[in-house]
Amino acid sequence: MTAAQTIPDIASTAPRESARDRTNARLGMVVFIMSWAMGVAVLVVSFLVLRDRQPAWPPEGVKLPSLPVALVATGLLVASSFTLHRAVDRLRRGFRQVNGLWAATLILGLVFSGLQYWLWMDLWTAGHQPWAAGMFESAFYGLTWFHAAHVISGLLALVVGQIGLATGRYGTHKTSTVANIATFWHFVDVVWIILFVCFFVL
Amino acid sequence: MSHDGIHPEPTSFWRKHVFSVDHKVIGKQFMWFGFAWLAIGGMMAMMIRWQLAYPGTPFPVLGDFFFPGGVVSPEQYNTLFTMHGTIMIFLGLTPLLIGAFGNFCIPLMIGARDMIFPLLNCLSFWTLMIGGAVAFYSLTVPLGGSEAGWTGYPTLSTTVGTQGSGETLWAIAVFIIGVSSIMGGINYITTIVRLRAPGMTWTRLPLTVWGLFFTSILNVLFLPVIGSAMILLVLDRVFGTTFYVPATMAEGGAGDPILYQHLFWIFGHPEVYILILPAWGYISDFLSFFSRKPAFGYRITVGAMAAVTILSAVVYGHHMFTTGLSPMLGESFMLLTMIISVPGEILFFNWLHTIWRGSLRMTTPMLFSMGVIFVFGLGGLTGIYLATISTDIYLHDTYFVVGHFHLTMAASALFGAFAGVYFWMPKMFGTVLNEFWGKVHFWFTAVPLTIVFCTMFWSGYAGMPRRYYDHTYVEYLRDLQHLNVITTHAALLLGAAQVVFAFNFIKSRWFGQKATDNPWEVGTLEWTTASPTPYFNFQEIPVVHCGPHEFSNPNIPGGADWIFQTDVLPGEPALPATHAPAAEPAHSA
Repeated sequence: MTAAQTIPDIASTAPRESARDRTNARLGMVVFIMSWAMGVAVLVVSFLVLRDRQPAWPPEGVKLPSLPVALVATGLLVASSFTLHRAVDRLRRGFRQVNGLWAATLILGLVFSGLQYWLWMDLWTAGHQPWAAGMFESAFYGLTWFHAAHVISGLLALVVGQIGLATGRYGTHKTSTVANIATFWHFVDVVWIILFVCFFVL
Repeated sequence: MSHDGIHPEPTSFWRKHVFSVDHKVIGKQFMWFGFAWLAIGGMMAMMIRWQLAYPGTPFPVLGDFFFPGGVVSPEQYNTLFTMHGTIMIFLGLTPLLIGAFGNFCIPLMIGARDMIFPLLNCLSFWTLMIGGAVAFYSLTVPLGGSEAGWTGYPTLSTTVGTQGSGETLWAIAVFIIGVSSIMGGINYITTIVRLRAPGMTWTRLPLTVWGLFFTSILNVLFLPVIGSAMILLVLDRVFGTTFYVPATMAEGGAGDPILYQHLFWIFGHPEVYILILPAWGYISDFLSFFSRKPAFGYRITVGAMAAVTILSAVVYGHHMFTTGLSPMLGESFMLLTMIISVPGEILFFNWLHTIWRGSLRMTTPMLFSMGVIFVFGLGGLTGIYLATISTDIYLHDTYFVVGHFHLTMAASALFGAFAGVYFWMPKMFGTVLNEFWGKVHFWFTAVPLTIVFCTMFWSGYAGMPRRYYDHTYVEYLRDLQHLNVITTHAALLLGAAQVVFAFNFIKSRWFGQKATDNPWEVGTLEWTTASPTPYFNFQEIPVVHCGPHEFSNPNIPGGADWIFQTDVLPGEPALPATHAPAAEPAHSA
């Protein structure tokens, strides 16, 4: 706990969040994740059903986007979950200084978004636009766009978290909001891994 | 985020009446929103019925405003029945049953100062407002509103079947409305689990709260399903993907329209119960309140509602018997659908036993509650014909189906909502709805409504298909035209009865008799506080000592036949000290 003692507590006057408040906020998030998981499950199962109907997969003439880039993107996103988890874990254990870990998460998320864009362009410039005939383009763009919308939401939430941590709005005295942002981001990560398995492994 | 409603009372007009985070204001907003859309959707029903009875004749009075030459055109007819369904379900009944009374009653009935996430609550309403605006705008676009039916089956709903932005906007509106419902659901579940007053155990919850709790679970789990289905539909329409477009319908198509039907009904069947469970909850309470008897089999009623909630998720296939479903799968769905009538019957018996030998007070909410039993009975029994594959193959897509689902999910839910309006009006607005006009409203609603939907059973059984613009083109249906005329006349009378309600509501709201704090003499927590409810709901967070239906208990002192949930019954052990309010610091203002 030495770090907690050396860093001035900018939020010492802010009221401390009660265990009750924390549970309330976390339960709301859990219910939301259940709901969101249903939406994702529908898309993934629909994809698997439709894929099963195709005579060949990937359909003839389709070149998958670069696997190494997708692998790197996956690695970065998983890494961002680790940095974020570490940040929240430190806050819970009473260490106030987590801005660096939080910023690292944000940067990893941004790089992932860049690589995602690269994957789209890779497919797009090879002549596979969403309106091209066939299921691969439909599924790839449709599902990754759905995921990207949540990446953007997650990045915005991370920015909110970063500002809140910097100004002392969130911190060791109030961890539920940052923990909820982290939960959301972890599930963005999980959904991406499912999509990666769907498109690049299966 | 404030947690126990300890947010200061706002002073500005916008914060107080428009972007309010107070659950009571939001509840009333949902209520007005629901009423407005019920009026629009109801007017559409009148236009549909007019066209069915008198094809090609101008709709009286209003026809010239909406239709070329006053006559409903075939395209407009398609839009009318599509939007009638969408509006009534998503913008009329859902906001009224779940939005209005869910918001208003849950915190009051469990003894909390507000919803657990007040800001999310506010967002939920304004998201719904955006969804409603998009739905309304879709009616005005150049090629007309959605024409693919409220189910929006592809390939009719893809660009192969319908051109123009109306259908796309319809899908977007349904998506946005779904997001709003999910927000509400998250809020309700968390509030009920976390904010119950000390002593408000799960078995002391009013059945209203139980009904809303199960509905919220279905909302949270199954609205995302339609959300994702709508995303795929919008992608198909806007970006030219082929999720629902098969190769037989368009070049390059590789999708499957039946997939949409699966997704739609995975959501669509629970949606029926999303609408009916709150109504069941309300009437389970009201029947006890106005029979002056404890609700018969409280725990069994809750268990039956839970069973219905679970079973509702696994019966959706009965909507798809005619799609070429595998016979084995079809039989499984048939069996599961039959099983769902078991908890349904349990609820019926519990309601009837609640009334049995009670000291009935035939107030308007009681009449509407009994109305729910009656119309849901009719609808439920005819459901058995539709659950059986052999009869469903014949009855599918006929007016028999229209009559059945209107009685179950529309009429029952509407009666439940009306019962709620009459019952909670004193607490919401501080005035009492006129009982005489309330009874007029009930009888002029219940009788024509029964005629409307029972004549539909006959015409449907005789083979009249739904969604036809003009049945007189078909020779074998011409003999049924007199039935259609009867249905339409009853429907017009039903519509006129709602005008009585509107006048009664507006007059009582602003000029009505002031309500006492507990005009119905019932014991649930919302009646322990003033009418209309003060901003903080309760001066002190109440401590609950007994169940919601302690009627005619011989131990009640002073000759009364009811006590508040906050009263201690003589001879009952007092609440353990661990549940005392002192142990709840978060509640102290």
